[in-house]
Amino acid sequence: MKRRFYIFLAVCLFPLLGVGILRAEDVQFRAQAPAQVIVGRPFQFTYTVNQRAKDLRAPEFTNFDYIAGPYTSQSSSTSFVNGRRTSSFQMTFTYTLMAQKEGTFSIAPATITINGEQYTSNGVKITVLPEDQPATNSQQSAANNQQPTVSSQRQSTGPEQGNIFVRTLVSKTKVYEQEAVLLSYKVYVAGVDLKQFTNNTTLPDFTSFLQQKIDLQDVQLQLENYNGRNYQTATIYSTLLYPQKSGDIQIDPASFEAVLLVPNQARSRSIFDDFFNSYTTATRTLRAPGTTIHVTPLPSGKPASYAGGVGKFTMDAKLSGTDVKANEAITLTLTIRGAGNMKLLKTPAVDWPEGFEQYDPKVTNNFKTSTGGMSGTRTIEYLAIPRAAGEYILPPVQFGYFDTEKGQYQVLSTPEYTLHIARGAGDQSAVAQPAGVSYVNKEDIRELGSDIRYISAANFVPANDNEVMRMQFGSWQMGALYGGPLVIALGLFIIFRKRIRENADIIGVRKRQANSVARKRLKTAKKLLAEPQHKEQFFEEIERASLQYLSDRLSIPTADLNKDTITSTLRGKAIDDALIERTNRVLSDAAFARYAPAMGVKPEELYAQTEQLINDLEDCKL
Amino acid sequence: MRRLTYICIVLLIAATSFAQSPTELWARANQAYSEARYDEAVADYSAIIDAAPVITRAYAPVYYNLGNAHFKQGELSQAILAYERCLRLRPTDKNARYNLQFARTQIIDNIADTQVFFLREWITTLRNMLPMSVWMWSSIILFCLMLVCLLLFAFSRSIGWRKAGFYISIICLLCSAVAFANAASLHHRDSIRAEAIITRGIVNAKASPDRSGTELFTLHEGTKVTIHEVLGGYANIEVGNYNGWIPVNTLERI
Repeated sequence: MKRRFYIFLAVCLFPLLGVGILRAEDVQFRAQAPAQVIVGRPFQFTYTVNQRAKDLRAPEFTNFDYIAGPYTSQSSSTSFVNGRRTSSFQMTFTYTLMAQKEGTFSIAPATITINGEQYTSNGVKITVLPEDQPATNSQQSAANNQQPTVSSQRQSTGPEQGNIFVRTLVSKTKVYEQEAVLLSYKVYVAGVDLKQFTNNTTLPDFTSFLQQKIDLQDVQLQLENYNGRNYQTATIYSTLLYPQKSGDIQIDPASFEAVLLVPNQARSRSIFDDFFNSYTTATRTLRAPGTTIHVTPLPSGKPASYAGGVGKFTMDAKLSGTDVKANEAITLTLTIRGAGNMKLLKTPAVDWPEGFEQYDPKVTNNFKTSTGGMSGTRTIEYLAIPRAAGEYILPPVQFGYFDTEKGQYQVLSTPEYTLHIARGAGDQSAVAQPAGVSYVNKEDIRELGSDIRYISAANFVPANDNEVMRMQFGSWQMGALYGGPLVIALGLFIIFRKRIRENADIIGVRKRQANSVARKRLKTAKKLLAEPQHKEQFFEEIERASLQYLSDRLSIPTADLNKDTITSTLRGKAIDDALIERTNRVLSDAAFARYAPAMGVKPEELYAQTEQLINDLEDCKL
Repeated sequence: MRRLTYICIVLLIAATSFAQSPTELWARANQAYSEARYDEAVADYSAIIDAAPVITRAYAPVYYNLGNAHFKQGELSQAILAYERCLRLRPTDKNARYNLQFARTQIIDNIADTQVFFLREWITTLRNMLPMSVWMWSSIILFCLMLVCLLLFAFSRSIGWRKAGFYISIICLLCSAVAFANAASLHHRDSIRAEAIITRGIVNAKASPDRSGTELFTLHEGTKVTIHEVLGGYANIEVGNYNGWIPVNTLERI
């Protein structure tokens, strides 16, 4: 029985315990206050906590007048959805405070005790706006000129006057080309009930800009002191503009159509009017003034790697690996991070070494557009496949952009990578071919570029040519060099002119040389004499020798050489008849021996006779 | 006192700049070139040439490197001038020839050469193959050889020697004459310095040597022209089939 009770207790208590633990985990204790308040106007400052709590210790509200509070209120709700129970509980502590002076003040965190534990709230920052100034007429008219003002029907001076207008706000009026400008239209409302805006909106066409609209999340009304008056404000349209050309770019005025709630002007004033104000809607066209943006062109001196970026960027590079095999892919991943005209960035070129097959880079964008401009990352993946083994250098990839903060170009660069490509399957390099497989793809030498040849780096010695080498053309030295040898030669010619004349006398030469020529032939003949089988040639040689000798000695052309001419010539030279007789006999003997060997001329005898004849003739003066 | 200081400073600067020997300047200029400081390289190469008492063949590499530095700076006409001058000193310099041709591909004017008789072209090519002094000395040596052969012909008893002497002397005489003609032609070219390079980006040639002359044609930087005569600040030039007058200061003689 007792045991049963414990079980019951446990079952009953368990949910409570569970909830208790759950609740203890997510205590939310928050301080809440309007972001902007006005001097002298009370506002509510609340602490909310989602559990039963006690002992709230609020900080001292310096700079604020404490008016009332804290008023504690509780609320709880329980709901069942699909059988599941959810309950919420909230305790609210409300203070009424009033700002003493304008400025921005913070309220320190408060502490509270929940289940014996202390929790701390968040601190709060409050901007205190000045009080509405009673607008003087001149100020009012100035405001009217600047901003189209829609006054409510009830014309009265002072802060109670209804006022609604739209301002054109530009984050910067002086920008560089491609630098983002935030243009927003903000509506200012005071003393008028603005219900909504219709779709009847005319926006300027942002030609010469690249436009990037910013989605406005839930519009929150903010208090803002403008021209001495506090307005409820809200941004109704916001866009980023990237100027595409330089110069002063005019942005046309925009117009918005607002629907206002206007209290009915009862014709007869009754006492109920004050209690039951009936309203009608009225549309107003609000005009936002135009503006001018001064766009400075980007300065000259763009780096070669300029990729069109304007803003502030960083770049990271990651290489999949530096040691890979041939025919295995290498990926270079560049991550460009930053803020600026991210969309317009050109992909930096990667100069893969020769022999790398490259593919189109894959670009992944992750951009975020906010009022601060466009920011995010662009990831570019370059894929390349090395086709041949070896060591290669991947030169640094450069990314140039214009830094708007510094006002100058910046170049980001990846490190230089050394790639070691090992031999892989199907390597193209010829060495990798196994022996016996002799097919090699022949390629013509590919011209990659052209440039002048490099400078000469040889040692330079300003050698002074010697005087002779430096001789001038047409100088006297030159003449001397021609003339000198010429004179020497002429001298030699003159001195040895006799010899020249002798040399020129061919007949004389022949005469002089006849003996030696004949002797040469006789010498051959003598050799032939020793060999009986060459008898015929011997006789021929003997005949030739004698005939040649006579021809040379007597200056008779060989064609005219016969017995008669020889005899007559010798007679003419007064040679005694016996010698002439001998001459004729030798000639005829030689002829006989040659053409009629049967005649029985003895070779030895003939040789001796011929030799004797030539000797004798040589002694004669011919 | 202050004046004295100034003089001292000036002298000091002058001394340091003159103290550089051509060899040092050469090394410094090559260093500057390799580090892509082309303006410094140009200054140093020019200093070597300016300091040279006589420009000899040894200075050909200086002109070549100067041409390269000018080319890298984008001064096309100056680069072409330097290459041309280098080739005047050493016509066989292959690199200078190549770079000159390369630089010529960058100039705007495309001069269609006037149709020259092929033999004349050959002769000009032959002439430009060797420098003037080589032609001159060859001519002298060949002339002497001719005389020796003539003597051989005159005094030799042997028919063979006489024949050889006779023919060789004729060949030597011919070669000597050709060499002499080439030397004379080169000497003439170098003395009149008729060839010039356009140094101004664009220049209009006129029909007469004055400002009011009818404009005939346009020439661009780097084009090689032949000067026929100079008259009152204008030069009569010929290029291809065109002939006109252009201001002298738009030209620089090779």
